[in-house]
Amino acid sequence: MATAPEVTGRATSAPRGRFGRWLERRIPPARSVTLDQRRIFIFPSLPGLFFFLLLLLILLTAINYQNNMAYAVAFLLATLFVIAILHTYANLAGLTLHAVAASAAFPGQQSEFTLRLERGRRAAHYGLRLAWPRGGDARVSLVDRDSVELRLFVPVGQRGWYHPGRLLLESSYPLGLLRCWTWVDLDLRALVYPQPLASPELPGASSDSPEGAAVAVSGSDDFYGFREYRRGDSLRQVHWKGLAKGQALQSKHYAAYTDRSAWLDWDAFPGLPLEQRLSHLCHWALLFERGDEDYGLRLPGTQIAPARGEAQLERVLTALALFGAGGQGT
Amino acid sequence: MKAAVGAASLIPRNALVWIILSQFALLLPHLGRLPVWVVLVYLSTAVWRLLAYQGRVSFPGRWARVGLIGAGFAAIFLSYGNLLGLEPTVALLLTAFALKLLELVKRKDAYVLIFLGYFICVTAFLFTQDILLVLYSLFTLLLVTTALVALHRPGEHRFRVDTLRLPALMLAQAFPLMLVLFFLFPRIGPLWTVPVKSHAARTGVSDFMKPGDISSLSQSDEVAFRAEFEGDIPPRSELYWRGLVFSVLDDGAWRSLRYHELPGAEMRQQATEPAGPELSYSVLMMPTQQNWLYSLRYARARQSGVIPTPDFRLFSPVEIEDQLRYRVSSWPQTPLETELSDWRRSTELVLPATGNPRSRELAAELHAASTSDAAFVDAVLAHFNRENFVYTLQPPLLSGPDPMDQFLFQSRRGFCEHYAYAFTLMMRAAGVPARVVAGYQGGEINPVNGTVIVHQFDAHAWSEVWLEGQGWVRVDPTGAVSPDRIELGLEQALAGEGSFLANSPLSPLRYRSVNWVNMLRLRYDALTYRWQSWVVGFNSEEQYSLLQDLFGSVRAQTFVIIVLASGALVLVPVAWLLLGRHRRRPLDPAQQLYLAFCARLVRRGLARERGEGPRAFCQRVAHADPALGRWARDFTEGFEQLAYTGSAAGGSARQQQLRNLRQQLQRMPGTS
Repeated sequence: MATAPEVTGRATSAPRGRFGRWLERRIPPARSVTLDQRRIFIFPSLPGLFFFLLLLLILLTAINYQNNMAYAVAFLLATLFVIAILHTYANLAGLTLHAVAASAAFPGQQSEFTLRLERGRRAAHYGLRLAWPRGGDARVSLVDRDSVELRLFVPVGQRGWYHPGRLLLESSYPLGLLRCWTWVDLDLRALVYPQPLASPELPGASSDSPEGAAVAVSGSDDFYGFREYRRGDSLRQVHWKGLAKGQALQSKHYAAYTDRSAWLDWDAFPGLPLEQRLSHLCHWALLFERGDEDYGLRLPGTQIAPARGEAQLERVLTALALFGAGGQGT
Repeated sequence: MKAAVGAASLIPRNALVWIILSQFALLLPHLGRLPVWVVLVYLSTAVWRLLAYQGRVSFPGRWARVGLIGAGFAAIFLSYGNLLGLEPTVALLLTAFALKLLELVKRKDAYVLIFLGYFICVTAFLFTQDILLVLYSLFTLLLVTTALVALHRPGEHRFRVDTLRLPALMLAQAFPLMLVLFFLFPRIGPLWTVPVKSHAARTGVSDFMKPGDISSLSQSDEVAFRAEFEGDIPPRSELYWRGLVFSVLDDGAWRSLRYHELPGAEMRQQATEPAGPELSYSVLMMPTQQNWLYSLRYARARQSGVIPTPDFRLFSPVEIEDQLRYRVSSWPQTPLETELSDWRRSTELVLPATGNPRSRELAAELHAASTSDAAFVDAVLAHFNRENFVYTLQPPLLSGPDPMDQFLFQSRRGFCEHYAYAFTLMMRAAGVPARVVAGYQGGEINPVNGTVIVHQFDAHAWSEVWLEGQGWVRVDPTGAVSPDRIELGLEQALAGEGSFLANSPLSPLRYRSVNWVNMLRLRYDALTYRWQSWVVGFNSEEQYSLLQDLFGSVRAQTFVIIVLASGALVLVPVAWLLLGRHRRRPLDPAQQLYLAFCARLVRRGLARERGEGPRAFCQRVAHADPALGRWARDFTEGFEQLAYTGSAAGGSARQQQLRNLRQQLQRMPGTS
């Protein structure tokens, strides 16, 4: 999707305002982000500030006791702090974050965001913490392996696309005196289904609709139509004639008519507000999936042929989730 | 644990072990100053904490901790008698450091412990800045830093020695910049008074001398001070380091005049014109917790902060708690106090009303037989020499009201203080102004760097008599008994007795005859001298002259430029090492060709997916676009042959295969 639809839950990221806009320019959203000096921020941590107090104390001891070795320790630790800036930075630098997947969820549930963290030139990266401002965090060290897959759970918002916002990646290794962090937008989004809402009955759900329900069943005899070639389609189904004419690769589609199927119909809930209709449809879709009846979905502008199984449920719920958003489920 | 602690803030076992290791390492330099029970506290807290890690015992509750801390305070008060000096303060810190281990649950506690550890490392330097301690402390700093690094490596639940590597590297990287700061950071005076070493023993010659005091000092092989002469070193028989002048004999002991006993007119040194050749030297004195400095006769300090006294000594207004380096010029041939004031004359003649009657009698006899005071001095020395007097480190104990009668007429065995005492007593009894001078005599010349090392066993007491026209003249009655003591030193003087350093069998000074031991000792001493004078003794004056030598002028800009330039010099290489984009290993030509193959397919809308092997990709391509299938299969086969078996084949065969593969790539069928 090129642009974010209106209904999304964007603007949950922690950096807002001017800093947020600046970040948007500096670290634009991308599916993979490699961390470099443009993207990494560094500042003394709270223990680092206490470390400054310690340095001051040692320096005062050196001055008051006129003790040169105490001076030396104070300077050695101060320089160690400076050196630690580079080491702390190097622990993040070169890491690449890849967006892998985001699972769909119902409102109020948590979506699982899968990321892959790949090491850079450095052999080991320790004590990395990844977190979304609203979600859980993950701590990981990349030692003796090139990459690691992480799952982070974030509670999602309303129906539609949920954008978790910018991801925080931070570490204070090796000394903990400095905190090094970055906010990256991995351009990940999770689909949020409508909130299922029970309705007393499904009006108009019919198992004996006049036209019957055409269900794609490969290998059946009746030609149903063409559809775009999908990976996994048998070569026998390929519409070679069309290909010879220069058309896109298509496969022939056969269908059988099943005798029992139900339609989840937008028009079955007249007078109800949009979200409530979708919620009822969602509820019924979940219910039918548990039963032994095929079901299809009719929404204004969209129609999903009756079928059953996880793929069908996903199709239906996706259509419901994105209804009115101008987007198409896939 | 009562509170639930997030896994992330827990302390990895590796870090726990490093923390405990560094605790013991930090304790070690303080052992000699601490009561034994502190060590037991360290052992028991370490065991307790490790058992708690294993879950076999629980952490102490809050009241138990409060009780332990209270007990620690009380025990330190009982051990030291107070809580205010430097030693009790450090002991408190060390005890708290051990007890804090029982509170070590979260990462926050670990920070407290580790920062405290850094500070405890510094406290060891308040007692000594010996080069060995400094090297050792570098090691403890490494241990503490390792604990800090281990703390940030979550999930390491086994002790790992290789954790040391990174902190060692970081400290090494930090070192050069530390040196720059060390030499450039402006040294300023103390901002306020701080707890001082209240329990350190006063060492060296004291301002109170009774028979037996110096002989007990002579059991020690510690270094009192080192002197470095700018010209030739005078013969050792001339090296009389004056430290104290004892003018008062009270209760059988000699002591110096108190400041308040001096009349106003006598508080300043008499104006004296130096005569004879000048000796320039600097003295690096070890801490004594006393005020007096040692110098050759008629010394003038070449620096501020050293006061000349009316009896021609040098005096520091503050107790010498740390090593002190002072530069002096001496004119040993200068006559001192040729005009003796009435007060001074009478003071230097006073004797107790009674006591030692036979000694006084002997003095009167010899004086009557002498033509002058000088002849009388010679007569007394001749008496010591003629009669059967013995120079010994183990003289019999003198007691009773007439110790000198006992010494002169019965035991006749004594150390330098006995002879100085008896001689001065006899001088005064006969009406010749005289006093006892205490300090050191001689010293060992280190051939490595030409310094004179003066040990505690060089402590000595002699006399000064005032002779008309000559002023104060040094007379050493010990020399009349044992010339070897003056010419060769204590060890030779006591060679027959075998009592030299009898109580320190391991002292390297006892093995001066073993050549390599002696050389090693002298080299180490030379190193110590260099260390003490250049590093430990580095102060604002040295800093100024160093900078002037290096840069001509000392200005604020120079400081800033040096700091920035050296900072860049250190940080840029480190940054390059850490972050530099080192060139990647160039790809194998076969792999390059395969990437070109993939790039061509991307243009046809067929992108290889991540993790998809060449064969799987080839099948997919054939499936998706049968027109490309044959070409892709041929190419993939060629590539696999090259990639997986090719390296074993000979060079020319491989080149041929590569050419074939390149040609195969070019044969890609066009779009229909």
